[in-house]
Amino acid sequence: MSNNNQQAGQSVDQSTHFEVERFLVKEARALDEERFNDWLHQMLTKDITYQLPTQEVRYRKDTKVLGNSQTTYLYNDNFALLSMRVARLDTGIVWAEDPRVRNRRIISNIDVEWSETAGEVDVRSAFILFRSRMQRDQATHYGMRMDRLRKEDGQWKLASRVITLDQRVVLDKNIHCFF
Amino acid sequence: MKPVNQLIQQEGAIQDRSIFWDEDIYQKEMEEIFARCWLFLTHESIIPDEGDYQATTMGEDSVVVARQKDGSIKAFVNSCTHRGNVVCFSDGGNAKSFTCPYHGWVFGMDGSLVDVPLEKQAYHNEIDKDALFLKKVRVESYKGFVFGTFDEEAPSLEEYLGGMAWYMDSFMDVPGGCELIGPPMKSILDCNWKNPTENFIGDGYHVGWAHASALEISGGPLAIAKGNAVYDAETSGLQVTVPEGHGFGVIWEGAAALHGGPVFEAYQKWLDERSPLIKEKMGEHREKFYRGHWDAAIFPNCSFLYGTNTFKMWQPRGPHSIEVFTWTLVEKEMPEDLKQMIHADNMLTFGTAGILESDDGENMEQCTQSNRGYSTRQGTLYAGMGQGHEYLDPELPGLVSKGWVNEAPQRGMYRRWAEFMDGKPWSELSTTAQLEQTKLGG
Repeated sequence: MSNNNQQAGQSVDQSTHFEVERFLVKEARALDEERFNDWLHQMLTKDITYQLPTQEVRYRKDTKVLGNSQTTYLYNDNFALLSMRVARLDTGIVWAEDPRVRNRRIISNIDVEWSETAGEVDVRSAFILFRSRMQRDQATHYGMRMDRLRKEDGQWKLASRVITLDQRVVLDKNIHCFF
Repeated sequence: MKPVNQLIQQEGAIQDRSIFWDEDIYQKEMEEIFARCWLFLTHESIIPDEGDYQATTMGEDSVVVARQKDGSIKAFVNSCTHRGNVVCFSDGGNAKSFTCPYHGWVFGMDGSLVDVPLEKQAYHNEIDKDALFLKKVRVESYKGFVFGTFDEEAPSLEEYLGGMAWYMDSFMDVPGGCELIGPPMKSILDCNWKNPTENFIGDGYHVGWAHASALEISGGPLAIAKGNAVYDAETSGLQVTVPEGHGFGVIWEGAAALHGGPVFEAYQKWLDERSPLIKEKMGEHREKFYRGHWDAAIFPNCSFLYGTNTFKMWQPRGPHSIEVFTWTLVEKEMPEDLKQMIHADNMLTFGTAGILESDDGENMEQCTQSNRGYSTRQGTLYAGMGQGHEYLDPELPGLVSKGWVNEAPQRGMYRRWAEFMDGKPWSELSTTAQLEQTKLGG
């Protein structure tokens, strides 16, 4: 691990790429298996930022901000808010999650580059999240994630994530799942 | 479709289940309700400058709302008068004109046809451009909230809001007024549009149960409502229904109560500072409403939670589906950081990923979808809670009920729904003004 400004923006070596890819697969598995506390306490840094801005459909040349309408984030969480969401799922009285929702995350197109900070990498990955509820209720979400991973005590952890959900109208009754 | 007096019975308390499912009833709603009522379009603060516009829908009709050169606001149907194509594909923005991508007809921001390709060569300069305006929508604003109607016979927006306007002034008419923050979130629910409207208009009953998990962890003062542990009908709040079909429930002193930690403190401080101004401007009652938390709906499909400050439109998309548009409501004179905190909290609670919104979505969908069953659909539903305990208060418009857990506003909404579905002209629809007369007479 000797990334520095000279390497920033360049693809990482094979062994680092392998570690990062394994991290993303393990993370997806923890979430699919509803091991939210493992995710929270073993896979995230304490200073994490976790964001999902809403899409806007705008003409390419028109960049005017309307009124006070800069950005609306569906998620704009820090560690405390993510912990609150996990605590809610743990109450056992989230009726929408009982019977459980079956979530399946497919993570692909993983592209890992050295960041400008030592011990940190920038990771882009595409995702598909299939949600299956009750008898035949189905929702599919797809998009990409821009992650910053940091190595802490020899373990990769997620330090920030910006999720791009491609849909403008979210074709689901909720997205209180993690991406 | 059954006769309306069979669809809605017992002063709105009994609803035939077919009103949540049948296609012919839905089409009748589009004609009798969505083509007649004043429907929320946008807020003036979102389109402040000439050429600013928002695209939205009125029922299932796509419309564009735009700020004009003279500062006024106009709206028109988003469909080219040549072959029907859409002329504006964006959510909103700033433009000088819209050009139809099919044949290149150009429309001004007032909906006028300003340019037609090959006008001389192909139309021989004979085309009557003035007759080919985009279909106009009648537009009016109330305290910055912009509404539109397709009905030239409709009363003014203020009359349409009726007694609800007096109550909404508590926060809409504060010094500086309100604004909405966007861009709106949009998501879908496979439910009938009336399910979420009735939920927001008066369903305080579900809060303690459906949202138990969120109340347990959210940390705001409203957490005491979890599992209906604490509820006092005499002192906790009020429910109001006005003859125009709008209504709300209020939890006294609860405006900031769903916000936790620093947001609660900052917002409560703001409320405390502003309350004397509200009292001075509008009196004691409105100050009390200003400090309360509201679940509310403007008939037919605009809903909001004042205090939590989520502001929503339930856009019908067939009898069993809606698009949900969600903005954040704030006072214009609030400090910018407080506005942004409230905006973030609105997303955390009533956004698409919100910890309360997700409880409601599942309920809304199943309430509609269960009516798929033919035999189920032959039955009725019951919203009779507290019926007969409503009363007239000489100092408050509409019908009032004690406590915020009640179903009087739902009944008022269905009474109004029945009046519209009967095809009654505006002159025969009941109004708050008539109720005031009754009060004076009695």
